[in-house]
Amino acid sequence: MTEVAATTWQAELARALADGGVEAAAWVPDKRLAPVAEALDALAVPVRTLTREEECVGWAAGFRAAGGTPLVLMQCSGLGNSLNAIGSLVVPYGLGFPLILSMRGALGERNPAQMTLGRTAVPMLELLGVQVFRLRRPGDAGMLARGALDVADGARQLAPIVLEPELDLAP
Amino acid sequence: MNPTQAVAALLRAQPDALFVASLGTATSALRSASDDGPHLYMGGSMGSALAVAMGVAEKRPERRVVAVLGDGESVMGAGSLWSLAGVRPANLLAVVLVDGHYTITGGQPLGVPAVFADVARTLGLAAGVAGTAADAQRLARELARPGVLEIRYDERTWPGPSPFVDAPVVRARFEAAAAP
Repeated sequence: MTEVAATTWQAELARALADGGVEAAAWVPDKRLAPVAEALDALAVPVRTLTREEECVGWAAGFRAAGGTPLVLMQCSGLGNSLNAIGSLVVPYGLGFPLILSMRGALGERNPAQMTLGRTAVPMLELLGVQVFRLRRPGDAGMLARGALDVADGARQLAPIVLEPELDLAP
Repeated sequence: MNPTQAVAALLRAQPDALFVASLGTATSALRSASDDGPHLYMGGSMGSALAVAMGVAEKRPERRVVAVLGDGESVMGAGSLWSLAGVRPANLLAVVLVDGHYTITGGQPLGVPAVFADVARTLGLAAGVAGTAADAQRLARELARPGVLEIRYDERTWPGPSPFVDAPVVRARFEAAAAP
């Protein structure tokens, strides 16, 4: 993985989200997401650091209910912290927004503690009735961002963009 | 003071604010005191209501926003007090209705110290404690934002309206109320 390649898809993702109308973002810091957050900040999209991923989901639900287009960034382990807010707020109230989900516990993982949430994150979302969109190739970042914004704004659904490990793994 | 009287004092103090209510007593009391006004009532998502109000406050900085929170709700989402102190929205007041019990689940005791104003002060937030409706009304108007107002009440009467709200209806009414 080179720094230039990593910056490219992350910057493209941030650019497409900002161009598509994202006004503000919330996250709990994550190393892989940091370049996306930095790029958003450089594009004048404020990124709020909250204490827990469930809070980020609540914050975004409120921002959306007030008429805005928010964004949440989290690692897949944080999805485990967010299930009730998604299941009892985002889904029943129809408060859609894009969610950048950085995968751990997948191909290339070396930490045993990450594997369970890595294996179950997407199935949990699907059990909640949430359709996910997988980003594997760096060149697809802008397309997925635009498509996810359509799903969030138009179809009023939570629209997770799943950052698969292939994005950063050498072929 | 009962919870409906506490929330009625907030509505008198901030009649034009956008209100978010946590599940259970806070939602029932806000529905009762506002004649089921177009507020953002939580049917679930316990612990998330202050974060939701922070999102509303961020999108509508020109509006005053009030989060009406139960005490059990507030300890479950205690991290949001830290977030309130970090983000510092200049238009948001968090109000904790303190009766020391989990009312919606049958009145079990809280089990932890109900020290929301003390914690808020330690975090550098404006904070106050009200034991009467008159004090609640005055502090809701006067406290600096972001602020935390702890309202202590002793009449643990159930406000009345159901806390099991129709989520899409709540959302649509609130969207219209929050629109510029």
